Amino acid sequence: MRRGVLVTASALALGILASNAQAQMELEATTDQPIYFRGWQYKTDIVQDNVNRYNKEMAGHIDYATVTGDYPAIMEQNLMAGAELDVLYANPSQAGRYFDGGWIMPAEQLGNIDEIKADMYPNILDAWTYKDQLLGLSYFVSTRGVMHVNLKMYDELGYTDADFPKNWDELYAQVYEIRDKGVEQPLLPHWLNEWYGISWAFVFEVMNRGGTLADPETHEPMLTTDENGQAYKTLAAWKGLWNDGMVPEEVLTYNESSYIDAYASGRYVFSPQQLYDLETFNRPDRSQIAGHASLLPYQGQSWGLLDSAMYLMTSREREDPVTEDVKRFTNWYGYKDQDGKVYVGNRWMQESMLFSGYKSVMESPEAAERMKSALARPEDVKAVLEVYANTPYPKGVWSVVWAEEFNSWLKETLQNFLLEDGDIVETIEAINEQIASLNEKYGI
Amino acid sequence: MQRRLAELSNLQFSLLLALPVLVFLLLVVAYPLGYALWMSLHQIVFFGGYRASFVGLDNFLEVLASDDFWWSAWVTLRFTVQSVVLAMAIGLCLALTLNRPMRLAGLVRTIVILPWCVSLYGTGVMFSYLAKGQTGLGTAIAYAFGADEAVNLVNRDWVIEVLAVGNAWNMAPLVAFFLLANMKTIPSRLYDLAAIDRMSRFETFRHVTLPPLRFTLFVFTCITTVLSMKLFDFIFVLSGGGPGTTSATLTYQIYKESFKDLDLGYGAAMSFFLLAMILASTLILYFTWGRREAHRA
Repeated sequence: MRRGVLVTASALALGILASNAQAQMELEATTDQPIYFRGWQYKTDIVQDNVNRYNKEMAGHIDYATVTGDYPAIMEQNLMAGAELDVLYANPSQAGRYFDGGWIMPAEQLGNIDEIKADMYPNILDAWTYKDQLLGLSYFVSTRGVMHVNLKMYDELGYTDADFPKNWDELYAQVYEIRDKGVEQPLLPHWLNEWYGISWAFVFEVMNRGGTLADPETHEPMLTTDENGQAYKTLAAWKGLWNDGMVPEEVLTYNESSYIDAYASGRYVFSPQQLYDLETFNRPDRSQIAGHASLLPYQGQSWGLLDSAMYLMTSREREDPVTEDVKRFTNWYGYKDQDGKVYVGNRWMQESMLFSGYKSVMESPEAAERMKSALARPEDVKAVLEVYANTPYPKGVWSVVWAEEFNSWLKETLQNFLLEDGDIVETIEAINEQIASLNEKYGI
Repeated sequence: MQRRLAELSNLQFSLLLALPVLVFLLLVVAYPLGYALWMSLHQIVFFGGYRASFVGLDNFLEVLASDDFWWSAWVTLRFTVQSVVLAMAIGLCLALTLNRPMRLAGLVRTIVILPWCVSLYGTGVMFSYLAKGQTGLGTAIAYAFGADEAVNLVNRDWVIEVLAVGNAWNMAPLVAFFLLANMKTIPSRLYDLAAIDRMSRFETFRHVTLPPLRFTLFVFTCITTVLSMKLFDFIFVLSGGGPGTTSATLTYQIYKESFKDLDLGYGAAMSFFLLAMILASTLILYFTWGRREAHRA
């Protein structure tokens, strides 16, 4: 009996070792050529540490560096020029354009793509699939524009969870109510001066209200100019806030860190922020509202939009063995390591509460524990998961070649709309015209 | 039997000597300029396969018909005039100060030249912190006087002035050092004579110091004009052309058209208008000021 157990255990151990050895062989670098890995600046020490691990354990030669400035435009120039670039971060809206330019190699070319796809949530798989090709592997998934609430101020103002606004209209009504109680600027809107700032704010508010900017399949413009339309109501609410002096003009100049710092200062009651930044706002070393940073739950209306990023592989000219190394590194970094674990994905969850596109990461007990420890209240875990599960993805304006051009135009147009007290109907018509002209430009 | 080599004429010899420079100029100036001209006459498409179709002067006409272009031209002009006036004024004041005998003159000069050594990107980051309400100098001063509101200068009313001050801060030391070098060549006996004539400080400056500086002032007005008109990185970092399009200069507009919208033909056409503006400004400066100074010199 005992011998039987020993034999079985040994066989199992040998099996695991053999499978690890097999994985090691499939992920290990085969050449001594450098692989150029580039991304935007976010916790670069962690990325470098992950890369170091690959280089050490998998004999890799990964050259990691960050790109500052206008990330989408810079990467596009690099891709177009065939610069030294093999693996890069990208949002889905950029990835589609890169694919159409013929500059990236879709993730479909990875040997274990079926396993990867099976581990992905269907809505994420759909968001990252362009022209029937899965473009990249999961870096992170989040909800940008989830409505954060500063419970400290909220309680002091005499409100409870039962008063939480259920939708944008109720939110604005409560913002004015709070203003009348003496808080001059209760809401910090998502109008920051990043390429994902004010333009995304418009996109998610229209979608949250039930609207669609462009048809997901044909990309035809779909906004209406009637007063009950989602775009009209959004712009009317913005104009009201702006003209009533309830938003400081400097929000239009904020970068991401200024925007986070402003909300972390505790001056505001509400602000649409990144979902994972709940962790940041609940850290005493980073925030004045630590322990009080919560979110508005899903009560029939979604909040924000699905913000995500992938690891993409470029298709620049290089020797076949080097391309094989690119695939191996991307597989290791973007999915499972030689031990069969989603190492990088799990690490992001533990370090920053970055959600992953993989079920194996999100449904692990460690992820649940991490969320609990990052949030202000135990009940917020449920709220986070529900808001996340109901987050929409703007396929009509993101899964299309002109996504970034439109985004840049929309940012300027909306800032000018506020600064110059623009006409609502004219602005909506201009948005529709811009979409139509971009469709015409690209023959869509 | 040794063959005798034909002797080169003076012209041939000088051409031979100049050949490397001519080749160099051809590579670094003529080729990019020619390529830009070629792009401006084409519509270039990268998606669905690269193709370039000849469109004649359409890109140029489109630029002229664009409100964004005229707005950016105005912003560029406003920014340039303010930058040049500030840079020259600050540069002159610095030079006059440095020209006076002082202790630790070498150290002071080193400190004064430092802003010029800072990259434009770095200058942009620094002035962005200084001018924005959240981190700015205005807010710090306002708070020191008991106010509780942030003072944000990166707004539609003041952003161009903030940009001009930052640009002048970066360029003024260079102006100052050339003016200082010029001042050092003024014979001291002229100042002695001015003292004998009982000239005031202002009169001494006007009749003794200024005349030999005039040509240098002209040259640096031209240089700062050109540098301001083609400035991009500082503006990109500090304001990103905003808020809205308040500070979208022509360089920013060209960047947006060429690298964000990938409309390279249109962007190239717009860049020729910027080139025309730069040439026109320097020619105006030359005919209204420089020619006179050159004659005097």
